[in-house]
Amino acid sequence: MTPTLAAARTTVQRGLWLTGLGLLGLAAVYVLAQGFTPLEVRQGAAQKIFYIHAPAAWAALMAFVLVGLSSIIYLWLKDPRVDLFAEASAEVGLVFSLVMLTTGPLWGKPIWGTWWTWDARLTFTLFLFFLFVGYRALRGAIAEPAERARFSAVVGILGMLLVPFVHISVYLFRTLHPQPVLLKPSAPSMPPEMVRTLLVSMVVFTVLYLGFVTTRYGLGLVAQTKEAARAD
Amino acid sequence: MPTDLPQNAGYMIAAYLVTAVIILGYSVSLLVRARRARTD
Repeated sequence: MTPTLAAARTTVQRGLWLTGLGLLGLAAVYVLAQGFTPLEVRQGAAQKIFYIHAPAAWAALMAFVLVGLSSIIYLWLKDPRVDLFAEASAEVGLVFSLVMLTTGPLWGKPIWGTWWTWDARLTFTLFLFFLFVGYRALRGAIAEPAERARFSAVVGILGMLLVPFVHISVYLFRTLHPQPVLLKPSAPSMPPEMVRTLLVSMVVFTVLYLGFVTTRYGLGLVAQTKEAARAD
Repeated sequence: MPTDLPQNAGYMIAAYLVTAVIILGYSVSLLVRARRARTD
């Protein structure tokens, strides 16, 4: 085993430990949300979907912003490790997007009376999801590593540019989607117990993101190291 | 607690289950890929 391969495998191990920690945290969030957070009177139990939907959205948007930033750095430095990170972050972002896009309609049906509406926030979010599905497809279609990294970096940057529109769409357009309760200039518009559960969940989803992305990045490093060894 | 509290717990349970399936499913896929990377 070359030292580089050993280092890549260590990165995978660290990522898996962090993922384990995140999964324990997720279990704690479930207990906290169900047992120690009051019911919202107007929305009932469905309001508790918010404690996983909003943190999943946070993790997904953070992942896509980091794809864009690392894509800019890749185009500047041409370091393949930065491209590997962008690839990892895009995949993990899609996982969290899937959570966001499935839990959203499960909240919308009892509260809005419909699973989906072509509202600005929802539509932008769906576009963002498909854009990064396209990013993954593009990476799979180009065999030459430098060309793949360069082309996908451009798509990654375009995806990042869509993220602020997703966030401010509730202010720019007339929309059914609720406005932010935490990431806004004024004080949180929720009771402290609910804010506490939301904040804990956001930390847990951040840890899960870090665990997933470290593992996925490490796996990319392992594959790249093996590829380089075969080419020598 | 008011008596007219909306009865929609089923949607919440479904959302929490779907989240667990997606997050655990991806974790398992990473674990499988990590094991493969260790043995190859």
